[in-house]
Amino acid sequence: MALPKAELVEFIFDMVAKAQGKKQLKAMDIQKAVLKAHPDQPKNDVKFAIKDLIDGSRCVYTYFGGSFIEIPHEEGAAKH
Amino acid sequence: MHKTPLLDQLESGPWPSFITDLKRVAGRKKAAADLLGVLERSYKDKITHWKHGGIVGVLGYGSGIIGRYIDIPDEFPGVEHFHTVRVNQPSGWFYTTAALRELCDIWDKHGSSILNVHGSTGDMIFLGTTTDQLEPCFAALTAKGWDLGGSGSAMRTPSCCVGQARCEWACYDTMDLCYQTTQNFQFEMHRPSFPYKFKVKCSGCPNDCVAAIARADMSVIGVWKDDIRIDQAAVKAYAGGEIKPAGGGTIYKKLDIKADVTDLCPTICMSYEGGKLSIDNKNCNHCMHCINMMPQALRIGTETGATLLLGSHAPILEGAQMSWVIVPFMAMEAPYDEFTELIGNIHEWWSENGKNRERTGELMLRLGMRAFFEGVGLPPVPQTIRTPRANPFFFWHAEDFEAEAAGRKYIK
Amino acid sequence: MADRITDIGPPKFDKFLPPIIKDNYGKWKYHDILEPGVLMHVSESGAKIFSVRGGSGRLVTTDFIKDVCDLADKFCDGYLRFTSRNNIEFLLTDQGKIAGLKDACAKMGIPIGGTGHSVTSIVHTQGWVHCHTPAIDASGIVKAVMDDLFEYFGSHKLPAQVRIALACCLNMCGAVHCSDIAILGIHRTPPKVDHERLRHLCEIPTTIASCPTGAIRPHPDKSIKSVVINDDRCMYCGNCYTMCPALPVFDSVKGGVALLVGGKVSNSKSAPMFSKLAVPYLPNNPPRWPEVVAAVRKILIKYAEGANKFERVGEWVTRIGWEKFFEVCEIPFTFQHIDEYRWAYDTYRTSMHFKF
Repeated sequence: MALPKAELVEFIFDMVAKAQGKKQLKAMDIQKAVLKAHPDQPKNDVKFAIKDLIDGSRCVYTYFGGSFIEIPHEEGAAKH
Repeated sequence: MHKTPLLDQLESGPWPSFITDLKRVAGRKKAAADLLGVLERSYKDKITHWKHGGIVGVLGYGSGIIGRYIDIPDEFPGVEHFHTVRVNQPSGWFYTTAALRELCDIWDKHGSSILNVHGSTGDMIFLGTTTDQLEPCFAALTAKGWDLGGSGSAMRTPSCCVGQARCEWACYDTMDLCYQTTQNFQFEMHRPSFPYKFKVKCSGCPNDCVAAIARADMSVIGVWKDDIRIDQAAVKAYAGGEIKPAGGGTIYKKLDIKADVTDLCPTICMSYEGGKLSIDNKNCNHCMHCINMMPQALRIGTETGATLLLGSHAPILEGAQMSWVIVPFMAMEAPYDEFTELIGNIHEWWSENGKNRERTGELMLRLGMRAFFEGVGLPPVPQTIRTPRANPFFFWHAEDFEAEAAGRKYIK
Repeated sequence: MADRITDIGPPKFDKFLPPIIKDNYGKWKYHDILEPGVLMHVSESGAKIFSVRGGSGRLVTTDFIKDVCDLADKFCDGYLRFTSRNNIEFLLTDQGKIAGLKDACAKMGIPIGGTGHSVTSIVHTQGWVHCHTPAIDASGIVKAVMDDLFEYFGSHKLPAQVRIALACCLNMCGAVHCSDIAILGIHRTPPKVDHERLRHLCEIPTTIASCPTGAIRPHPDKSIKSVVINDDRCMYCGNCYTMCPALPVFDSVKGGVALLVGGKVSNSKSAPMFSKLAVPYLPNNPPRWPEVVAAVRKILIKYAEGANKFERVGEWVTRIGWEKFFEVCEIPFTFQHIDEYRWAYDTYRTSMHFKF
């Protein structure tokens, strides 16, 4: 069953939080994981759920040779 | 101000000195002064002192800001943060002085006053500011109608040659295609969601002044299908030395039409006899050489458009590739729906199948051209290859047998 | 978020076009290079636009751009553009103003040239000014090489145009791989692991995942909480340093410069070509890199002497053969020149077509 929008946002947030520090997720990793759990979820929902998390500063885009979606954190390079 | 005895040696000589230029703003900008300081240190140590910052950005975007931190902040606090802002350039890099001054004022207020005009992808690069200035800088830019370019695993800022604005060889409106494509893919530019970067570059003719074939995943290169237009009187004027070769951009005073033009034609499809130039246009491969040599006598045809080539990238990871032909001709007229739709299909196929950091060209090689063509809905045509395969390892799919039984070619 | 302006894209270009370009858009008939650095484009209507091309360091300041704006206001009604090779183009409608503009450029130190069969501005990257994985500086080498080749910027005396580009490491942000002469910063040693800093600054799983060749694995001693690098698999790309600042890839002694030659992007006569390795290593010698400057000049001079009319560097080398190129340029041939990467076979000689 496709998740309602608010639940989808939380589903994705949990996924990102659980992966933090272990695996950096790309937008496509998230989309594939959502579609595996909820095959009828429209892809566009995933796109805008991620936008919701980013716009609300609960997640950030990061770039380390590739672009990822992560929980905001202080990065190594910013520390002395 | 730091002492910079090594850098000072770059102030002599006739080419413009970036050191002299940087020193001009070092008096009023601590960041510029400390940049000179750390650069002097690098010249002494022979290593860089920058660290990559992967998290800073403006709210909502995952593109347009490149984070940088210094590894010796105690010595050079002015560049402790030294982040870059990519400002999406106007098509063809045309500006008014009013627009440039507006951009300079924003950067004087919110950054180091140092910039690249322009960066490799095409954006104007504002070089060096602190994390707390990113949002105000972005707000100031958007308030004046500017936006950030692409970075990361995203659609990158498209760029183009001068095109029809000031070139007689432009086979389509490069500046408009570049602008419209930039507008059509704003979401994909600012919210990185691809396996890796995706670059689009638009050159108006096969001279390829933006090096599209070498550095764009999607290279759009102008071409014509009909006949080169010949002004025989002007050909005679070249032969007689009244008009200088190649627009006068050489030391050669007079063109030898046979030796310099027809004998150098790669398809030997032209001849010059009895004061008349003939071209077998059906066999022309539109290399541009004859047109480059005689811009006043020869012009591109009138049935014009573009060839789409896909796949080029710098050496990481599989070795450098040049783009190869996927669509020999597309008319390329506004609103460019066919082009936009094809790019969308390519993004989808690539996102579905690509591994992290795999460019489109690498994926095409990994899965094969057939998988690509079928994935995005393009037919096989001979213009896409230099030669057919020389090995016997070709295989047949169920669809091929179905097509065979139905009396169709082996395509859908 | 509500009041934020986002996703507006760049301003539409037509607001920056001078009236003569708006009037003649798509109607240009031919062009002429009146003198080095000065182009004239003629429209079907007979209208003419003059472009005066000036070199710039690419790395500039707002003071410089504002000075350039003053010139454009005075001579060009406030219209100018930049080229794909970082040159400035002043756009004039009045031919009579060209001399005054050139004088003003000379006073400001802006050289005029970069047209036709010249060495135009060197496309380049950030180097030590801003990059975290460079082997060399970019702007400094460019300045030193252009000082030396200055006579070729403002003249048309080469057999064809020569495009030089510089990238400060093998990631090649400058996409130098199709240049007549490419100057490339090279690392020759893998990153050095700073175990003490790594455990504090970096995540081990994501650092391991960042390596495109799979050369990084966890340190066998789990108590160290760090990684080790398989030197044989490392290609010195620096991506692990992007991820983890405790893995610096640079080496002050072993880093250096390579030269690749013979690339082009134009389809004129011959198809576009990659640049190929000519000089595998030159020392990294700031502030003026004399070995690099001399090596670039030598290749340029030998090309100018040996090439036929209108022959690009790559076309010249293809005609004479690489064995002759190395001989003519007096460059020793080494193991490094022989390809061992993905498509190496394509580069091996499978014919008797060679010279002694």
